[in-house]
Amino acid sequence: MPRPGFVLDVDERTPPLLVHQGEGFRMQKFPLGTRVVYPPDPLPGIRDVHAAIEHALQHPMGDSEPLPELLRAGMKLTIAIDDISIPLPPMTTPDIRQRILEHVIEMAARSGVEDVQLIVATALHRRMNASEIKRMVGERVYRSFYPNDLTNFDAEDHDALAHIGKTDHGEDVEISRRAAESDLIVYVNVNLVAMDGGHKSVAVGLASYRSLKHHHNVETMLHSTSYMDPREGHSAINDSTVRMGRLLRDSGVKIFQIETTVNSETFPKSLGFLNKREWEWGAYDQGLMMAAKRGVELSPPRMRREFYRRVEAPYRITGVNAGEVEAVHERTLANLHRQQLVEVQGQSDVLILGLPYLGPYNVNSILNPILVHCLGLGYLFNMYRNRPLVRQGGAVIMFHPVPWEFHQIHHPSYIDFFEEVLAETTDPKTIESKFEERYATDPWYTHLYRTSHAYHGVHPFYMWYWGAHGRDHAGDVIFVGGEPKSVARLGYRRADSLRDALEMAKDTVGSSPSITYFHAPPVMIADVH
Amino acid sequence: MGMRTELKEMASGFRWGRRPLVPRSAEPHAEPRGERAFPTAWARTTAAIAARQTILKFGMKPLLWNEVTPRVHGLDNLKGLQGPVLFVSNHTSHLDATLIMTTLPDEWQARTAVGAAKDYFFDVWWRQTFTALIYGAFPIDRAAGKGATTMARELLDDGWSLVVFPEGARSPDGHQQRFRHGASRLSIESGVPVVPIAIRGAYQAMPKGRNWPRPGRPPVSIRYGRPVFPQDEETHQELSLRMQRSIAELHDEDANTWWVALHRAERGETPSISGPTGAAWRRRWDGSRPIGRRGPGRTWE
Repeated sequence: MPRPGFVLDVDERTPPLLVHQGEGFRMQKFPLGTRVVYPPDPLPGIRDVHAAIEHALQHPMGDSEPLPELLRAGMKLTIAIDDISIPLPPMTTPDIRQRILEHVIEMAARSGVEDVQLIVATALHRRMNASEIKRMVGERVYRSFYPNDLTNFDAEDHDALAHIGKTDHGEDVEISRRAAESDLIVYVNVNLVAMDGGHKSVAVGLASYRSLKHHHNVETMLHSTSYMDPREGHSAINDSTVRMGRLLRDSGVKIFQIETTVNSETFPKSLGFLNKREWEWGAYDQGLMMAAKRGVELSPPRMRREFYRRVEAPYRITGVNAGEVEAVHERTLANLHRQQLVEVQGQSDVLILGLPYLGPYNVNSILNPILVHCLGLGYLFNMYRNRPLVRQGGAVIMFHPVPWEFHQIHHPSYIDFFEEVLAETTDPKTIESKFEERYATDPWYTHLYRTSHAYHGVHPFYMWYWGAHGRDHAGDVIFVGGEPKSVARLGYRRADSLRDALEMAKDTVGSSPSITYFHAPPVMIADVH
Repeated sequence: MGMRTELKEMASGFRWGRRPLVPRSAEPHAEPRGERAFPTAWARTTAAIAARQTILKFGMKPLLWNEVTPRVHGLDNLKGLQGPVLFVSNHTSHLDATLIMTTLPDEWQARTAVGAAKDYFFDVWWRQTFTALIYGAFPIDRAAGKGATTMARELLDDGWSLVVFPEGARSPDGHQQRFRHGASRLSIESGVPVVPIAIRGAYQAMPKGRNWPRPGRPPVSIRYGRPVFPQDEETHQELSLRMQRSIAELHDEDANTWWVALHRAERGETPSISGPTGAAWRRRWDGSRPIGRRGPGRTWE
């Protein structure tokens, strides 16, 4: 039985603890009494994944029929897949999506289905390139379908979009026409965090800006406390996607959802110490850590990125569930919680986060300052249920160098957002009302999104909104080791060391604050009582 | 941060060279048992045996003989005895294993391994290596119950004699503690004799808590007894008692004379070596009483 997560109280026996800081990490001594939240140990994976997939497809959940019975000759079948943003880091091949696709396609072939289209559900994310797609779906699927019948979703191809209707809250639902008009959509998901999957898969992954703006906005994000807690009433964004998903269902769009969960084996053996608790490090782990730390510090950025690009997660599959969306997602969340939930008693004055090198939007790319903001105050801050780990008005201290760097191909609109928008204001509501529409409809960004590998023009806005709740909740945000200019542009403060940061936070939290360090990754959810 | 500072922080934070500690709040969440055992088979190869004997003879023995004043008796009990055997002794000091290993005749020394607590001697790499090389030691998992003797049984089967301290830990007050039954069980199951050994003065020389003998070359006496063979249908409890009695008689013999000890044993009046009852300080006070520099008087004196 793997050990559950727990909360450590730093005492004099505690060694320095590992803290991620972008493309590197540090060993940090924490003040005595600091609480450190550790994730549970990885759950054992399913031994026979093929059998599990076969079983899930043959014995679906909810009111769905087994997949083979839904497939027939002459039908129109669309298979949608999650894109490169999950899991993080990309998992070792074969990717679970490949394994599932092979089963689904095999069944489709046996049933005589001819018209099959595979769509990577990128929504407003960048298009995946051929080699990325090939790695994800496997050679066989790639060779059979790419490029004509295996494509990236295009949210700006208005002819290929279908407006399904409006929810009772007046939200437009517009998704891929091909998907909407198919006899069956099979959605293949990887559920790394609690916000993934469920109705979000189709209603967000295959949706256009017209549809997404109803929930990807500041108001919704401020009422999503947290968006990692998809229980009704806790996450406005989830409630909205559920309404959209139900509208799709009621409009006759038939979805067969396949959801998978992975355990928490996030880092390969070569970085095995990142999966372990520090006091359990042997001499080998300590040596490896020092070698890796020095190695990345001394190597030039290009080499460093190449090193991280090659990091593949040896995730093991903990669950494969298929059938009706809501029934499947309920089981998926239970599986996810089994792996990720850690009970924490009470909030603290200060929350410390170590931001790793990777977030959902910089796979094979650069974690630019806006993505740093999103990863910290968006993702890691929101990894809670019930209450945030830090009290209202407390301080959030994050470790990241926040370099003023952007990927020219992947994030063109981010550059302008940083240079133009953030130079004027950092207030999410002002940004939304004043700039969003212009960026979202800018023809050049749209062109790059459709033909190159750029994130949509509006995407940096979403990243900013994603951190809106954290920003609103925290009284002070300090980056340890952050580049002064870029941190200032984000509207935050920076410090050279944790000690300085705590000194600076005195005005907000007093001289002897309670401190919590959230020791992630691996991903976990703090259940704060 | 410079490399030097970093190394310094790592060394102090991770207690390099010392026993790693688990933060108190993490103790209930400690890693489950059964982690990879330190391999010790290499320490019983011909090369390692040769190295061990050289180190014992030219390193450990002169060093020990320089720091304490040992008196060795009863080695003739080993003459004509066929190995493997279990050497069983009272345990009051880290000196005990070294005393036994350095005083055993060469042919016995070459084929003898010491059972050492896994949680104490097999924690950090240098201690593991040192213990395995110098003592030919193998780990005994004190928390493993009956499973603790698995490796010992394999070694006996391979013809290795073993040094075992049935008390399981050094005495905190110099007196004998309760014997655990692992050694007697082993003896009965493998059909090997037990050679009792009484060690006196080691507690006074280097009690628990010290890592070097007291100055002044304190006297230490080690006395080998006659082998005790397990009898047919003898239970391990009975054998344990016999072992304890033999060690107590050896103590008596060492403190007085063979003649006196024999008579007392005959009358069942051998003084107990489990010390006085009562307050802990009384036991420690009694246990730390010096044993006398000259040893027992000779019969003709």
